[in-house]
Amino acid sequence: MSALSEQEPLSAAALRVSRRWTDGKTGGTALISAATLLAILLLWVATTHWHWTSPLFLPSPSEVATQAVATALDGYANGTLLDHLLASLGRIGLALTIGIVLGVPVGLLMGLNRVARGVLSVPIDIYWGLPPLAYLPLLIIWLGIGESSKILLLSLSAFAPICFAAQAGVRSVPQERINAALSLGADTRQIFFTIILPSALPEILTGLRIAIGATLSTLVAAELIAAQSGLGYMIMSAANFLATDVVFLGLIVIAVIAFGFTVLMRFLERRLVPWKGKL
Amino acid sequence: MLSIRNASVVFDAADGSRVNALENVSFDIPPKSIVVALGASGCGKSTLLNAIAGFLPLTSGEILLDGRPVEGPGGDRGVVFQKDTLLPWATVLDNVALGLRYRGVPRAERRDHARELLALVGLQDFATKPPYELSGGMRQRVGIARALATDPKILLMDEPFGALDSLTRETMQQLLVDVWSRTGKQVFFITHSIEEALTLGTEILVMSPRPGRVIARYKADFVRDFAAAGDIGGVLNDPAFGQLRAEIRALIHHPTQTRTAA
Ligand SMILES: Nc1ncnc2c1ncn2[C@@H]1O[C@H](COP(=O)(O)OP(=O)(O)OP(=O)(O)O)[C@@H](O)[C@H]1O
Ligand SMILES: [Mg+2]
Repeated sequence: MSALSEQEPLSAAALRVSRRWTDGKTGGTALISAATLLAILLLWVATTHWHWTSPLFLPSPSEVATQAVATALDGYANGTLLDHLLASLGRIGLALTIGIVLGVPVGLLMGLNRVARGVLSVPIDIYWGLPPLAYLPLLIIWLGIGESSKILLLSLSAFAPICFAAQAGVRSVPQERINAALSLGADTRQIFFTIILPSALPEILTGLRIAIGATLSTLVAAELIAAQSGLGYMIMSAANFLATDVVFLGLIVIAVIAFGFTVLMRFLERRLVPWKGKL
Repeated sequence: MLSIRNASVVFDAADGSRVNALENVSFDIPPKSIVVALGASGCGKSTLLNAIAGFLPLTSGEILLDGRPVEGPGGDRGVVFQKDTLLPWATVLDNVALGLRYRGVPRAERRDHARELLALVGLQDFATKPPYELSGGMRQRVGIARALATDPKILLMDEPFGALDSLTRETMQQLLVDVWSRTGKQVFFITHSIEEALTLGTEILVMSPRPGRVIARYKADFVRDFAAAGDIGGVLNDPAFGQLRAEIRALIHHPTQTRTAA
């Protein structure tokens, strides 16, 4: 997580640069990616079919599929697959909501106001530098083993990248754009709502992408340690019984969630900031 | 009346050096005048305009608007920027209507007005497009329409026609002269074209770089002939026009030789 914090500004910039360089040449990647996915699947089938490794290490696709049906219908580790999925998604959803509701205004404030930036950046930088799992025990001591400690942990993971992004968004507004609005007679409130907020939106969405990644990885790790439900908990319970097929099932579901978020963010960016990178 | 008194601007460049972008510049922009700042790239024209617009504080000197010092930007001074400053998330029409929106003009009304101005600059067919789908010259014309929409007393224009082809440029010059002769606006206009300066200016300030100074000023009247005739052709054939053009050209290319002569 601390590595992520160092990469965060870089990866956001890299994302933008790479888009500029590759736009217009992206036509064929969907097909290539699909083919690669298929190849990985085939390799998986071959490996298990000809018993290149023990089923304990690598269950066959059909075993995973059977286990998926069983877990969906009968459940595993105190809940059906849907129960675990909803528990995890609920935590992510709540944490991201808190992260956005607090992170965007705080980040905007930090971008606009020097004092706010100076004061608030200290605690945020300190906690964002820490690995979340290192301070989870502290949160558990404070808030108990229940949901609130986990939600707080995840909200902290979501808050910082969104806050940083909103701040960077404000500070990247071209001065000429503000000058133009001022000479058209805009007052401070109008400058904020018609110039600064929309200008910062692409950065905020990039921050949300990073927040989703950070929250997802923190979530599973937190559920591995201290939870009675969720995909991480399901995986950990299965691992204790060497039920590799359930472990795989959990991983696949998490991968699908991550992919779903990527698609959602792409959709949001296309809808909200079609002008990103233009002009 | 807008008065610039002993205006100087010194920039602290990033490498620690100091740039005298503007040194001791004084002039007036009286009502019904078009004051043109003419000079090569980097001689402080935009710096001067930014100071008048209130974007940039003077290092020394003052700028008075009807006797009161200019303290910041305001809707009384409309600006056409050298660089594109349109909002990419708004349509061309909404960009033109932006100043009216800031004034609280109702949506339908401000759109109607913006549509008229778009027609005036020949872009009525692009009203619903985002600005990044327009060419550079088209965007510049949107910027002109946007500045005209709020009907400011003073128009500050930074090389507004620089990105236009010569045909569109003439149309736009015509448009500016029409608006000016109809409304009597005060115009401060920047260009690096001697011909454009003479065609449009009632007063022409010739500037030289580092330090940015006004090295000569000329009164001209060609713009009134232009406005009366409704066409630029007559003015261009005026012998007085050619003579002044040659004089200014000599001044710009050999400033030290001619300064004493002029
Ligand atoms: N923010 C700044 N910091 C340092 N130097 C600056 C800054 N802005 C302008 N300058 C310098 O001041 C001088 C005048 O710049 P200005 O933009 O006013 O030129 P200009 O006459 O408008 O040129 P052009 O015709 O190319 O637009 C230049 O030498 C430029 O390098
Ligand atoms: Mg300039």
